[in-house]
Amino acid sequence: MANHSQLGFQDASSPIMEELVEFHDHALMVALAICSLVLYLLTLTLMEKLSSNTVDAQEVELIWTILPAIVLVLLALPSLQILYMMDEIDEPDLTLKAIGHQWYWTYEYTDFKDLSFDSYMTPTTDLPLGHFRLLEVDHRIVIPMESPIRVIITADDVLHSWAVPALGVKTDAIPGRLNQTSFITTRPGVFYGQCSEICGANHSYMPIVVESTPLKHFEAWSSLLSS
Amino acid sequence: MISVRQQSFKLLGFLDVKNVPCARESVLYGSLGSLVVGLGHFLATSRVRRSCDFAVGGFICTMLGYWFYCRYNLAQQRIRQRMLKEGMRNKMLFEGSSFDPEKKQTGNERSNS
Repeated sequence: MANHSQLGFQDASSPIMEELVEFHDHALMVALAICSLVLYLLTLTLMEKLSSNTVDAQEVELIWTILPAIVLVLLALPSLQILYMMDEIDEPDLTLKAIGHQWYWTYEYTDFKDLSFDSYMTPTTDLPLGHFRLLEVDHRIVIPMESPIRVIITADDVLHSWAVPALGVKTDAIPGRLNQTSFITTRPGVFYGQCSEICGANHSYMPIVVESTPLKHFEAWSSLLSS
Repeated sequence: MISVRQQSFKLLGFLDVKNVPCARESVLYGSLGSLVVGLGHFLATSRVRRSCDFAVGGFICTMLGYWFYCRYNLAQQRIRQRMLKEGMRNKMLFEGSSFDPEKKQTGNERSNS
């Protein structure tokens, strides 16, 4: 989860999020280069005396057409690569359904058994010491780590959005439509997210908690749930 | 991979040079490149204004050039790390079984000899 006053990304816990963080660093480096150039040109302009001697500007017009085109290519190529990477869904080991309601999530594991449960936020008054306010839920989603997981997302009433920043996932939950996303968690842990589409009075109070565990623990949890 | 985060130092308020891999080296090499190109041009031509232009151009080109080179090497290193990790896991999983890659390799060597 994010620390208080955190501006940057959370630590990446999926390969897609790692790629997104790297692309972000790349984009910021390009932005630094552009800002340096602009600052220098601004300084020059402010120091120059005003004159109307310039009549021909063919060279500088060529430069300020070609240079932005190069910058756009530098940004577009890795961006498109990641975009297509995010759309790859390669034989998931588990399919999970997430249904948004006002104001809780329902999760269904229907691959092998008919398992389903609701996930409500733990109210602050009931929160044990050391737990995170407005982020904890009564029933977490448990998934096996290092396995491709497919999540099918929809909503029951109004628009919601299923988002987990550490995994690089954000998908809209739209009534009457099934949206699909997939991810792989690279390590065990607990990853927090929150509903990311305004959905009413308690929009801020329907968090998402994903617990990634080794396979044997996941099997033990699902047996417990089904019994 | 979680790395220990140092206190951030953000260049121009947005680029965290301490925590972003390759950023610090890129800016430092860029500064060096800027100094070399700018000073070199000035020593050759004695034109201050034009030398400053070359210095800024040198900074941008050197910084971005080293950035691409460093990130490319970092990406290759990450790929090698992933392949190594998977190779080690497969070795542990399949050791002694028919899927053991070392067993297949020694089998091929025997058939070749």
